Amino acid sequence: MAGTGDAHLREDAHLVARDLVVEFSGPNKTVVHAVSGVSFDLIAGETLGVVGESGCGKTTSGRAVMQLERPTSGEVTLRGQRLTDLQGTDLRRARRAMQMIFQDPISSLNPSRRVKDIVREGIEIWGDPDGASTSDRIDEIMEAVGLGGDDVGERRPHEFSGGQCQRICIARALVLDPEVLILDEPVSALDVSVQAQILNLLDKLKEQFQLTIMFISHDLAVVKNVSDRVMVMYLGKVCEVAGTDALYAKPTHPYSRALLASIPGHELDLPPASELISGELPSPIDPPSGCRFRTRCPHATAKCATEEPVLRAVAEDHYVACHHPGSV
Amino acid sequence: MRKRLGILFWIAVLWIVLVVFLAIFRDSLPIADPVARLARSGECERFERPSWSRWFGCDNAGRDIFARSVEGARPALVLGVVVTGIAGTIGTLVGVISGYIRGLFDTVMTTIVDISLAFPALVLLIAVSVAFEPSLRVFVIVFSILGIPGYARIVRGATFALAEREFVDASESMGATRARIVRRELLPNVALPVLSFAFIGFALVIIAEGGLAFLNLSLDGITWGKEISEGRHFIVDHPHVSLIPSTVMFLTILAFNLVGDGLRSLVAPREVATARRLHIEGTPEPRSEGDDAVLRIVDLSTKLHTPGGLVEPVDQVSLSLAPGEALGIVGESGSGKTMILRSIVGAFPLADVTRAGTVEVDGVDMLRSADTVSRRTLGTNIGMVSQNPLTALNPVRRVGDQVIEPMIVHGDLSRADARERALELLQQVGIPAAERCLREYPHQLSGGMRQRVTIAIALANEPKLLLADEPTSALDVTVQDQILRLLDGLRRERGMGMVLVTHDLAVVKGFTDNVAIVYAGQVVEYGPTAEIFANPQHRYTVALMNSMPDLNLPSHSELTTIEGAPPSLIDPPSGCRFAERCPAVQDKCRTDDPVRAGTDVHSYSCWFPMSEHPVEVS
Ligand SMILES: Nc1ncnc2c1ncn2[C@@H]1O[C@H](COP(=O)(O)OP(=O)(O)OP(=O)(O)O)[C@@H](O)[C@H]1O
Ligand code: SF4
Ligand code: SF4
Ligand SMILES: [Mg+2]
Repeated sequence: MAGTGDAHLREDAHLVARDLVVEFSGPNKTVVHAVSGVSFDLIAGETLGVVGESGCGKTTSGRAVMQLERPTSGEVTLRGQRLTDLQGTDLRRARRAMQMIFQDPISSLNPSRRVKDIVREGIEIWGDPDGASTSDRIDEIMEAVGLGGDDVGERRPHEFSGGQCQRICIARALVLDPEVLILDEPVSALDVSVQAQILNLLDKLKEQFQLTIMFISHDLAVVKNVSDRVMVMYLGKVCEVAGTDALYAKPTHPYSRALLASIPGHELDLPPASELISGELPSPIDPPSGCRFRTRCPHATAKCATEEPVLRAVAEDHYVACHHPGSV
Repeated sequence: MRKRLGILFWIAVLWIVLVVFLAIFRDSLPIADPVARLARSGECERFERPSWSRWFGCDNAGRDIFARSVEGARPALVLGVVVTGIAGTIGTLVGVISGYIRGLFDTVMTTIVDISLAFPALVLLIAVSVAFEPSLRVFVIVFSILGIPGYARIVRGATFALAEREFVDASESMGATRARIVRRELLPNVALPVLSFAFIGFALVIIAEGGLAFLNLSLDGITWGKEISEGRHFIVDHPHVSLIPSTVMFLTILAFNLVGDGLRSLVAPREVATARRLHIEGTPEPRSEGDDAVLRIVDLSTKLHTPGGLVEPVDQVSLSLAPGEALGIVGESGSGKTMILRSIVGAFPLADVTRAGTVEVDGVDMLRSADTVSRRTLGTNIGMVSQNPLTALNPVRRVGDQVIEPMIVHGDLSRADARERALELLQQVGIPAAERCLREYPHQLSGGMRQRVTIAIALANEPKLLLADEPTSALDVTVQDQILRLLDGLRRERGMGMVLVTHDLAVVKGFTDNVAIVYAGQVVEYGPTAEIFANPQHRYTVALMNSMPDLNLPSHSELTTIEGAPPSLIDPPSGCRFAERCPAVQDKCRTDDPVRAGTDVHSYSCWFPMSEHPVEVS
């Protein structure tokens, strides 16, 4: 199938998703192939950027890692523990080490609760991880996200701006001292000037709290700025995985090239996007056979329709799922 | 929450409090004995009319009607409270579980609710009440069973929507159990709709009890229903005997409904409809010789009179656009970008608006011309493309009709010609199967195709000016590239002026000739795009450029942030509006409004522009 394979997985990974498949039931008994055999890993302290266009399965992959969406098949392991096998209390306990932050900061906060109670939620459920006194810890975290000050906790979410709400969401996630943060478009709903504040904050917190981050976004410039490694997805499949600078300097999968060429103002040595991609995104209900990108790819051949390309190395730590990576 | 509920709501609350108070404390108040036949002791006559000493008069047996009305409130209230309590609690729990856990439970529950809501409740009531001796217990059981589905349904609906919200996911990822999520995240948010429904349900219980009394199915003791039903025998000669308890009952029912409705309006706040009034102030600035601008804006100020105060989202804005040129307007959300466009076409969401200054489109004064003239210009000379192509199109009409219609209305084409031209337009905007597209509905098209359709509609009458408000913000980057290229090609080919509103500097850089940087309602820098990107002067422009992650810089490059947030447009600070956030701010900036500086071509409003003070001043 298009873009499967696990050649790019590393041995010392902290979090591994292997062959994830997530299917939803669509209208009239159809199946939506949201994520189809996707593998990726994160080593401790790393930021993995996940990019791709709407509907390519970025969010679903993140939710499947969290087990918010139970994968149809495939496994997720955290420090060697298979989350996909766990149920109930065991699952809740194990996934405490991972927290997710969502795109819409306002909808992420319960409008009827006070900020203090929202941020405290994790401690209420699990107790204080350090044994330090709860209110000290909350103060420390609120300070860390830039919301120190006495009265913040007593207020309700609607009294805050989008950027501040996202800070509250981050504080809530940090309370349980997570190892992994999954950020789904955390800055897409924010203004440019506020976006930079949050990106810098995340960078600072990553050091301070020793976080491993999965950063999902459709914005390639933002992903480049924050990531150590980047994974490009298309229609439920992985196209390309590589170190950030390598991928942006030498995008090799035809879809990655089209994606980068589409960004206004880029200075890469690429032909115009109109020569790199054509047609419309196919439906995930009935994805193309072989390579899923073949209906829009200028290099597609007969082989692309019958055989699914597997991720393989084209350079050191640079993996591409394409039959003809050399033709570009 | 702090919304005005209106005087009626509070009168209704007062009435309910009064009824409850009298019903509870009847015994300790100086109220007559409701069963005593006062006529016998001569205290009162049979059918005595209401008077100062006996407010509601007496009934056929010479009993005090006021006392009986108060007494009748008791069973009504007890029944209402108990039934609402039972049905509300069970219904809410069933609804929350159904809307949150979903699955089989939900399917079964929904089916049962649908069936029971379709079931004629009155028939069941009568059947049961006939079969069993009417008693408080029988009434409570029957009414509760009838009430549960209503609560379950509204709570399920509310929960369904809530459960999609990310805070439920967030709580789940924290490790909250389902029970905790129901308790902490869902129930508090359905409380208000349930409460609102409870008041309306309460009223229904009172109505049902009254109705049954007419069928001689009533509780022991005095009830409103029984009094009305007995009193109707004397309706001709002594109407007050039944009219007074009817009125009391009616007012109580009305009060409960009013309170319920009031609470509901808190849940789904309706738009406050302010009168739509457009005022124009000032005199137009005459056009200079040889100026062929398609769009000329001089000192445009727009003020909105809102309940929160006077807002001025467009403050002294001057812009000009030549045929075939593209002008970018960049700024953060709330900075007034869209309001500039609205001020050109005179379309405002709410209400009371004052515009001053000059807006000319192709020589037509858009503020002061007769309605017919400016509307004609709107229809034929201005095309509009908005951010969300799905809401811009009518979902229930075919694409073809939506493209063809404006050409017939404004372009004076016959239907056949218009159709011909629609096909041509769809092809020009890059829709491959144009013929088929004409017959399709908007939801059958992808986001990119829909935006192409709205562009085709905008182009239909060969406008001289195209206003595009974030035309690609809702689209994917590969589609964005296609749409921007399309717009770029079209405006060059047709010599059409284009205003491109966006928050994305990269889009501006790639696709415009001139750019206006907007901050807190003011144009702070204006000039040729290439010049401003190479040589930004205003400190906000500089900060904005530095805070954008740049694709051409290595990963993990430090971003310059602009701390804080823009000032409120209600009562903005004097001096430079960027002062609070500016790294180069000086005392002068806080007191004196910056004066427009630079050249006719490239101007900016900053006391300490980059070129004169290249190093950060402070
Ligand atoms: N609950 C669901 N039921 C049915 N289909 C779903 C559901 N959630 C996602 N999908 C479908 O799965 C596919 C992948 O969706 P996903 O949300 O993961 O994409 P994404 O890459 O995050 O897109 P975006 O950039 O728009 O956020 C899409 O086709 C989407 O419509
Ligand atoms: S060349 Fe073939 S395998 Fe590679 S991206 Fe194109 S269609 Fe897919
Ligand atoms: S006028 Fe002063 S505060 Fe305003 S941008 Fe210029 S330097 Fe900054
Ligand atoms: Mg998503």
